[in-house]
Amino acid sequence: MQFSPILRKEGIFLAIINVRNLTKEFKIYHHREGVIGAIKDLFHREYRIIRAVDGINMTIEPGEIVGYIGANGAGKSTTIKMLTGILVPTAGEVVVNGFVPYRDREEYTRHIGVVFGQRSQLWWDIAVLESLKLLRRIYRVPEKAFRERLAFFDDLLGLGEFLHLPVRRLSLGQRMRCELAAALLHNPPLLFLDEPTIGLDVLAKARIREFLLQVNREFGTTILLTTHDLKDIEALCPRVIIIDKGRILYDGGREDLLRQWGHDDLEEIVRRIYQGQRPGEVEAGV
Amino acid sequence: MARQSWFRSFLWHGEIFFHYAAQYLKTRMAYRGDFWIYLLSDFLMQSVNLIFILTIFTRVPHIKGWSREEVLFIYGFFLVPFGFYSGLFNHLFDVPEKYVLRGELDRVLLRPLNTLFQVVVETMNLELIFIALGGIIIMIYSGAQMDLAWHWWDFPLALLLVGGATLIYGGIYTLLASLGFWAEGNLGLMPMIYNLSQYGRYPVTVYRGVIRFILTWILPFAFVGFFPSTIFLRRYEFLPYALLTPVVGLGFFVLGWRVWQRGIRRYVGAGH
Amino acid sequence: MFESLRHRFALAAALVRLEFINNLAYRATYFTGVFNYGIQIGAYYFLWDAVFAGRRLLAGFTREEMLTYVIVAWVVRSFYFSNLDRRVAVEIRNGDIAMELILPYDYQEAKYCRAFGEALFRLLFFTLPTGIVIYLLRPFQLPPNFTAGFLFILSMLGSFLINAQLSLMAGLLAFFTQSTSGIYRAKRVIMDLCTGLLIPISFYPEWFQKVLAFLPFQAVSYLPNLIYLGKVDTAGALAVLARQFFWAVVLFFLGRLFWRLAVRHLVIQGG
Repeated sequence: MQFSPILRKEGIFLAIINVRNLTKEFKIYHHREGVIGAIKDLFHREYRIIRAVDGINMTIEPGEIVGYIGANGAGKSTTIKMLTGILVPTAGEVVVNGFVPYRDREEYTRHIGVVFGQRSQLWWDIAVLESLKLLRRIYRVPEKAFRERLAFFDDLLGLGEFLHLPVRRLSLGQRMRCELAAALLHNPPLLFLDEPTIGLDVLAKARIREFLLQVNREFGTTILLTTHDLKDIEALCPRVIIIDKGRILYDGGREDLLRQWGHDDLEEIVRRIYQGQRPGEVEAGV
Repeated sequence: MARQSWFRSFLWHGEIFFHYAAQYLKTRMAYRGDFWIYLLSDFLMQSVNLIFILTIFTRVPHIKGWSREEVLFIYGFFLVPFGFYSGLFNHLFDVPEKYVLRGELDRVLLRPLNTLFQVVVETMNLELIFIALGGIIIMIYSGAQMDLAWHWWDFPLALLLVGGATLIYGGIYTLLASLGFWAEGNLGLMPMIYNLSQYGRYPVTVYRGVIRFILTWILPFAFVGFFPSTIFLRRYEFLPYALLTPVVGLGFFVLGWRVWQRGIRRYVGAGH
Repeated sequence: MFESLRHRFALAAALVRLEFINNLAYRATYFTGVFNYGIQIGAYYFLWDAVFAGRRLLAGFTREEMLTYVIVAWVVRSFYFSNLDRRVAVEIRNGDIAMELILPYDYQEAKYCRAFGEALFRLLFFTLPTGIVIYLLRPFQLPPNFTAGFLFILSMLGSFLINAQLSLMAGLLAFFTQSTSGIYRAKRVIMDLCTGLLIPISFYPEWFQKVLAFLPFQAVSYLPNLIYLGKVDTAGALAVLARQFFWAVVLFFLGRLFWRLAVRHLVIQGG
């Protein structure tokens, strides 16, 4: 499962994200009901194994923005967690930016930015600016570069108004903007976004999309994002990967997908895919 | 080469520690009233033991050959490593629930810093290090009552012993916190060990047989307060034990760290 | 009237059961619970044993009585002890209390019911096993006669009632101050020292004993222990129960008053 540096040099993993046969299994324990059940659980616990990600392959080139979509529980977050080094794969190969994420974690995480829409990465009780300053130390960002980037973020995201508030007092939209700034402070070549627009209003979403495009254009940042809002995909991602029950159903251009289905509504197509239809069955299915 | 980069990483983490500490103090100072009440209530908690000792010694002149001043001195010494432990490691008991079950460790794993280090600096209660100050005051008071003579080498020695004793605490708590990776949830061991650690406040000769053995060799809390302080009480019959303190500390810390590493591997293998 | 009482009782029973099951969910705690109490008891047991080494009588206690006192005091504490103070404080602090206020029941009563559910759980999983294990390891004195034993068990209920009410009040203080942890820590210090759990009241200086006589604390631990040890006769034991009853009633109304003030405070603050 590990790659020798020679393989890397020989260019077998030339792309920025290389995933082969990636698989992740979890043990799920049952909790039995009531007093008796709880006592039974003490002695013997039943579990089953579920395969959250089932042998997926993907290659992403530098500078791409890729939308990674799938129904709840399809395996999106699990994939992202393996790509960011939080989880160790059960089987398969991951090489990102020349690193094996879970193995080279401390070094690898210097070169990526991550935003989880459902969970804050900032310190809850300290002012945003203080959080950023602490991150500057952790990621060893030089003072001058820090100032410049902060000005850039402020310009695009309008952070100035709440830089001095603690994170817990921010609205969700404000917090998300801060999360993005925090994730990009060290100018990583790669940005992972797990549902970055969840719960945001229309304006906030538009602002974040605009920002991501700008970052991608300006710094050539590769972006992989998961979302349930297909407007995000339409606005950002020329390429789409669709996953269902741990397997990849579609990997290709967004426009190609529309053409394949002969439909111009992405949302409708995705809904049908989740329902298990194939392009050919469109008419028959309805 | 490898050693050097290890050392540099260590120094760098030290530097980052101060940035975290500065942030921590800023946050705490935002609720100044809270800060002082918290500190005060912790002193109050400690005063229970003091009142206990003082009350008992109004009825008896000594306990198994240990005078009031000696017992106070041992208690005072115990409070110094205990203070460092309280300030740094006490909230490692959050690890099973907060970090493992609720998945906060995800965030920790995304940062280019040592995981144990991050958990410690995120959960520390730095102000509790002040407890150590209380311990020093008790030592000075009881030492003066006994007319203890101090040598210059007592101070570096005390530093070394306190360091070792703190590592014992740190190691044991890291070990316990790591068990949360296997138990998926709180094992309830932390309060148990905390209570056991409180045995270390008193001369270990108070205890008999099995308990004394456990406190010396299994969960060596006798090395936190009692053994090292006997050097300064000039009760040299415990000298070999006292000098063993830093070794025991280092051993336990390395053990704790190893188990932690394995726990992390397990978390990233099994988390959800 | 009768119908409403029946409903009320059904609700109380449901709450007690709920809390009992809730506690069961923390499977780890009852594995370690007995050890935990064993260790805590041991700490003071061995210490007192050393204190009494070569001495016959201290502050009215023989060595044997004192060791029994330590064990009984802690074993009974494993029954009446509750996290009510912390839970209420946390509820207030994170705003969950609003959810409690919209439920159609009496807040205080509901809290006592849940505390009782927890106490029953503790009785089954901590108190009895701990008591039995310690008795097997090192037999301690049993009550001198059946009456004393019976009255002692009754007094355990009194201990629970007084402790639960004090805890609830301590928790409610979170309405008035930000430093909730400070409050319940201070409360625990007072409980440890003033109930006689750590040191029998008779060890304290005269003046302090006089002060404590006017307070409810020693009815939680010290006085019930005297019943257990047979250091008070039946009349004395009944007097202890009466005293517990008196304090339970006084604290109940004090708690009500407290709750009124606290809720008003909440309304003024706007939650």
